[in-house]
Amino acid sequence: MQLIVTAINKAYSSVQAVKNASFHINSGEIFALLGPNGAGKSSIIRMLVGMTKPDSGSIMISYQDQHYDHVPRRLLGYLPEDRGLYPDKSIEKNLLYLAQLHGLSKSKALSEMDYWLDVFELTQRRHDELKQLSKGNQQKVQLIAAVLHQPALVILDEPFSGLDPINQEKVVLFLQQLKAKGMTVILSAHQMAMVEKLADHMLLMAQGQVVLAGTLQQIQQQSQNQRQMKVGFSSEVNAAQLEQLAAVVTVQQLQARHYLLTLAEQASVSDCLKQLLQYGELTQVEMQSADLHQLYLAAMARHKPEAAA
Amino acid sequence: MISRQSLIVARWEFLRFFKWKQQLVSYLLMLAVIAAIALWSFFTDESQQQYRIAVPAELQITNTEQFQFQRPGIALETQLMQMQSDDSWHAVISLQDGQLVVHTLTGKKWLQQLDEVLQKHYRHLAAQQMGLNTTQLAALEQPVEIETRYLDQSYKGKDTPEKIIAIGALILLFVGLSTAFGQVLVSITGEKQQRVTEQLYAIVTPQQWMDGKVLGHSFSALKAMLTSALVMLLSFAVVSVFTKKAVDLSWLDISVVLWLIPFALLGVVLCASFMGAIAASIDDPNNSGKSAVMMITWLPMVFTFIVIDSPAGIGMTILSFVPLTSFAAMPVKMAMVTVPWWQPLLSLLLLLATVYWMRRVAGRVFLRGMQMYGKEPSWGDIVR
Repeated sequence: MQLIVTAINKAYSSVQAVKNASFHINSGEIFALLGPNGAGKSSIIRMLVGMTKPDSGSIMISYQDQHYDHVPRRLLGYLPEDRGLYPDKSIEKNLLYLAQLHGLSKSKALSEMDYWLDVFELTQRRHDELKQLSKGNQQKVQLIAAVLHQPALVILDEPFSGLDPINQEKVVLFLQQLKAKGMTVILSAHQMAMVEKLADHMLLMAQGQVVLAGTLQQIQQQSQNQRQMKVGFSSEVNAAQLEQLAAVVTVQQLQARHYLLTLAEQASVSDCLKQLLQYGELTQVEMQSADLHQLYLAAMARHKPEAAA
Repeated sequence: MISRQSLIVARWEFLRFFKWKQQLVSYLLMLAVIAAIALWSFFTDESQQQYRIAVPAELQITNTEQFQFQRPGIALETQLMQMQSDDSWHAVISLQDGQLVVHTLTGKKWLQQLDEVLQKHYRHLAAQQMGLNTTQLAALEQPVEIETRYLDQSYKGKDTPEKIIAIGALILLFVGLSTAFGQVLVSITGEKQQRVTEQLYAIVTPQQWMDGKVLGHSFSALKAMLTSALVMLLSFAVVSVFTKKAVDLSWLDISVVLWLIPFALLGVVLCASFMGAIAASIDDPNNSGKSAVMMITWLPMVFTFIVIDSPAGIGMTILSFVPLTSFAAMPVKMAMVTVPWWQPLLSLLLLLATVYWMRRVAGRVFLRGMQMYGKEPSWGDIVR
């Protein structure tokens, strides 16, 4: 399977939800769509699913020498952002219904269900009504519903939302299993630490636009001019004041008098140090490469003034 | 034409609302209530009881099975006091200035029967005074038999068992559509509120989803009609047993009943599709006025009932061919007048075509609603 998205645009009334977004996804990889609320992730997902069509640009999905302009239902496993199942029905009845709609026989559906319920430690609760489950367990049932029929492509809109850290780790393992089974996964998320562990490729979006794209390494390379500097001051300094410096894009306070600064692309280290010395004596200066979370924050910070302008 | 997925959705929808234990209990309760009413009527039937009536000595009226006329020979005031203090008399009759007065404690149904007995007695007295014999009096009392002959050979007559079938068919359609109304609204808007629709959209097409919904709720409606019909027949049988009459179902015209089935089936599917289209355009039933529009589906029964006394008239003829009303009007017309075979067939074909069109509309409205997620489509959006 290959998915190629070329320069798609989508507007709802006066809101431009997606602006000129392009990317491609290869078979068997995990692809992450990242961005704050309203960045356009769900709009892209809804276009991939075929619920809406792009105003311009194209989506091409190739599978076994066939080409489609959205993911065919038979290939798709989907966890929507707006999700829910039948609260008055048991886990088993909910899953069996959806699996049979996907075309699975009852016996096949039950055997797949056994496997995934075991993975998520829900076997003992299979006859419980959904409304009796915690939000986290309901989310797990939704995840099972998306993959029960072994789709070629799984699209998960915010799969980590509403889960505690332990269950987030379980979802990471779940996604790794999907990849091991040869499924292609597209997910949207805010949880950078999770995405960093999982995603082969990622797309960072802000206000409908792609701001960074590629593998983690590629993104780090793209952002190599945005060096990060860990600095310590001998006395207290106001973080807001540091943020005003021309050489600084973002400021993150690490501990008392210690900050992590993302430097502006054009700024030199010496310029930055000169500016920092205005606020006091430096006790620590250390350069380091940014992790995804920091790159994401830096990209968002860079994007905001553009949008405001 | 109906996909496997639609049938799975239909089965799911049908079973979601099919609580057989509750239904069985409710029908048994209904039968028990009907039996209790029949029993109560049987044991409290005033015509089966005997009543003691005090009459003046000069009133030479003959006793009947129901009324024992006694002449106590005591003052009227004493008789009235006795009636009030104990159950010596059920009624006291006096003659005051040539006027017959019936004194009793309170109004009862048997007083009407007493009135008839007294009327008959005085008619006999008047006949005797006029010198009429018993035969002549009987001839006078015999009602004139008037037969109405209809030149339109197809008209089966007014106030006949056929009309019972016709009204029964309308009641059953009303029951079916009321069932579908509630279920379609709850099912579609409920699924939207439970946020299941987007998940389902990724599995089945809007048309398959809507077809399944319409079919499932149509089956529910037909089941409600069938069980209601059975309850009606059982009630009829229960009442017949308690009133010591033989259960007579000879008035049930099987050919009309057989025609009623496809009309009812298509009519319910048509209305469920219309309701589905409206419900699919509603995001929140608590804040939308659109659900009231679904009640339009009851109008065919109302219109048919209005013209039921002119089954061969122009109104009924139009209603029986217009696909939006024919499912109610044609079976009623067929129950009351003989129609050529091609008329129900043509009506059925027109209805079938409209059902096909309406289900397509419902599917498209659902798709439109999905594409406008978070926003309820306006009437303009629906039409587009």
